[in-house]
Amino acid sequence: MPQLNPAPWFAILVFTWLVFLTIIPTKILAHTYPNEPTSQSTEKPKTEPWTWPWY
Amino acid sequence: MMLSFFDQFMSPTYLGIPLMALALTLPWVLYPTPSARWLNNRFLALQGWFINRFTQQLLLPLSLGGHKWAALLTSLMIFLITINMLGLLPYTFTPTTQLSLNLGLAVPLWLATVLIGMRNQPTHALGHLLPEGTPGPLIPVLIIIETISLFIRPLALGVRLTANLTAGHLLIQLIATAAFVLLPLMPVVAILTSTVLVLLTLLEVAVAMIQAYVFVLLLSLYLQENV
Repeated sequence: MPQLNPAPWFAILVFTWLVFLTIIPTKILAHTYPNEPTSQSTEKPKTEPWTWPWY
Repeated sequence: MMLSFFDQFMSPTYLGIPLMALALTLPWVLYPTPSARWLNNRFLALQGWFINRFTQQLLLPLSLGGHKWAALLTSLMIFLITINMLGLLPYTFTPTTQLSLNLGLAVPLWLATVLIGMRNQPTHALGHLLPEGTPGPLIPVLIIIETISLFIRPLALGVRLTANLTAGHLLIQLIATAAFVLLPLMPVVAILTSTVLVLLTLLEVAVAMIQAYVFVLLLSLYLQENV
């Protein structure tokens, strides 16, 4: 089986991890997900008084 | 030298350039990096949905400590599924048929999960070596068995992916050769063989996706045990 030839093993290992650590996470982490927009309602939201001091 | 069916898996070089390097770098052209603009095109939107959904599903069984691995596991999934699927196109080289690549990914990641478990919660991690409710006399034997099964995990991860993809590619090549050779002799049998080939290719598409997913899923389970 030619996969068992140990000659390119180290090169493959180094190359794979290089691609896996540098290229792919950069592309994946660049995807951002904005918050879902809340649906507007006509009622004014209820605010309760707060008990801690306003700084 | 005789051309055998295994020659498709030799790490190819062309004019001194290892094609493995090309096969590992070019697929990421298919994933454009999103810019800072709000609106994406359809392709980027689909990719974003997939990545988001997949990360959410994968992280469901993981506790909070495992969530640090989200980016790594999603990157691994994208890596494997892209390479597996692109390898099904004719005349392409599939890097994941190489045992070196799969073991090179499986062993360090598995070792990382084990070391994390041993460092942060050694008792809990070692407790996995003895299932609950074992009868007394069986305990030593079971610990040995569980230790062996622990150490076999990275080998199983790597070899599973390699074997599944290698076997699939080999079957495709065999059946395609059979259909091609039979065509002048027995055309009807050749057509039947081609039908089998089409069905096999569909199977291989499924296998490509499933095997990538299984790899990542098992790794996340090993992480959940240790985190």
